Amino acid sequence: MIYRLKKWLGLLASRRLITVAIVIAGLAATGVILSAIIAPARDSIRARQPALRLDAAGAGQGAALAILGGFRALVADFAWIRMYTIWERRDLPGTEMLLRLVTTIDPRPVYFWLNSARITAYDFPFWRVLAAGGFETVPEDVQRRLSHEQARSALRGLETAMRFHPGSVELWVERANIELNRLGDLNAAAESYRRAWELPGAPHYVARLRAEVLRRAGRRAEALEWLTRLHPTLPPADEGAAADVVLGRIRDLERELGVPKERSYRPPGARE
Amino acid sequence: MWLIAGNTLREAARQRFFQFLLLLAFTLTFGARWLRDFNFGAPELKFLADCGFGAMAFLGAALTIAATAQLFFSEVDNRTALTLLAKPVWRAEFVLGKLLGVAALAAVFCALLTGLLSLVLAWREAELVRLLPDAVAPGGGVSHAMVALGGLMQWLRLLVLAAFTLLVATFAQSQLFSVVTGFLVLVVCHLQHLAQDAYVRAGSAAGLVASALISSVFPDFQVFQIADSLAAADLPATGDVLRVTLYALGYSAAAAGLAVVSFRRREI
Repeated sequence: MIYRLKKWLGLLASRRLITVAIVIAGLAATGVILSAIIAPARDSIRARQPALRLDAAGAGQGAALAILGGFRALVADFAWIRMYTIWERRDLPGTEMLLRLVTTIDPRPVYFWLNSARITAYDFPFWRVLAAGGFETVPEDVQRRLSHEQARSALRGLETAMRFHPGSVELWVERANIELNRLGDLNAAAESYRRAWELPGAPHYVARLRAEVLRRAGRRAEALEWLTRLHPTLPPADEGAAADVVLGRIRDLERELGVPKERSYRPPGARE
Repeated sequence: MWLIAGNTLREAARQRFFQFLLLLAFTLTFGARWLRDFNFGAPELKFLADCGFGAMAFLGAALTIAATAQLFFSEVDNRTALTLLAKPVWRAEFVLGKLLGVAALAAVFCALLTGLLSLVLAWREAELVRLLPDAVAPGGGVSHAMVALGGLMQWLRLLVLAAFTLLVATFAQSQLFSVVTGFLVLVVCHLQHLAQDAYVRAGSAAGLVASALISSVFPDFQVFQIADSLAAADLPATGDVLRVTLYALGYSAAAAGLAVVSFRRREI
């Protein structure tokens, strides 16, 4: 016992161990001092740019290579090509893993997020139904459940994407499309189209889609109000704005709602 | 000290390894143009910049770690260190001279690649403007100041890495151990913020202590991504650049100082 204690004390006192202890203590002290200096810069770096997704599981070797090597874009691109080859084989776990890997390595391009959401929401339910026996065998309620599960998974992915790209119109439009086409949730889709339209650079069709979804949801008065507020803001010379189409829809809604002629919408510049 | 630094640089530049890595990095940076067909997500110029900085980061790290360990151990193993230290040269001068030599080597590497990257970007940008005038938005072109800042950040990262590798080399018994540990330090420095986040999320006291220790002993290499853009509008504030520079120099100075302490306690 005493011999062991002596040996242990001897080890503790060895020069190299003392050196290592000095090094660790020195570096720790330096780190404490420098952490106060770097903290504001670190916060601004994290706020300004999307870093690697730290919370994603299954990043694997590709992510490690990208993190250490700096080849984020290149590794993500090659992983995306690999994903396509697996996608062609309709291998759901493989495709899902690579989709996650790509957006983990390089969350900067919106392209990856959008296509990940589309594959998850539109392709995966199809594959799952085929794997369960096909559309004629699998009951419709099961098909619907699978579709909804995948749609919700895609929406979760889009929510993560929005943390990296808060100003992306495309992400909100994609969200609205999935809510509309896969979940059949017209109210949620209308809200998402509204959020997309509020962002700078939103194309005019987004506003028209919101009106159409509101009309389909039975909220015709709201759709009419939306379009009458929208129409005066549309540039007449811009074909994409389609001011004539919007005016036509306003007239349709007024007819459907039985709006009297004297209270009907008058476009700016129209004769009294 | 300057003499030792100059000799270290000359010796390193003569090595085939340095020439090979430089050639490889040049090929990768220049050849990224032909890899752009594989690009899906990022804008083309950003993709080219990522390839250039990737080559700088990956091959630069390999060069720094290998050169530091090799140049230090060649002096110790060949007993030239003994001859040198028999003259009026302090051990501190020897260690700092080695570090300055490797820092100069890394600076040459980063400067050459940053210059080449800038040329490749300017060339491709001009081509894009000619072929697709709408592809590059007004004011949305390549900011060469940003590219230069990216190069500077890569050099600072390599400087810290060199200092840490030298620190390990001063108490290591073999070159291989120093190289392996140098790469481990690189991994830890890149991933320490992940560990930090994981420990904080776990919420255990032991985890928090471990997190605090790791995050103070090892520098966080993520802060050198301050120039992760090509747009002039994204140029970081001068204060942030100075803070990151100070952070790198602080860690390098501390590691170099500790390397001197460690080397003074070493029997050659």
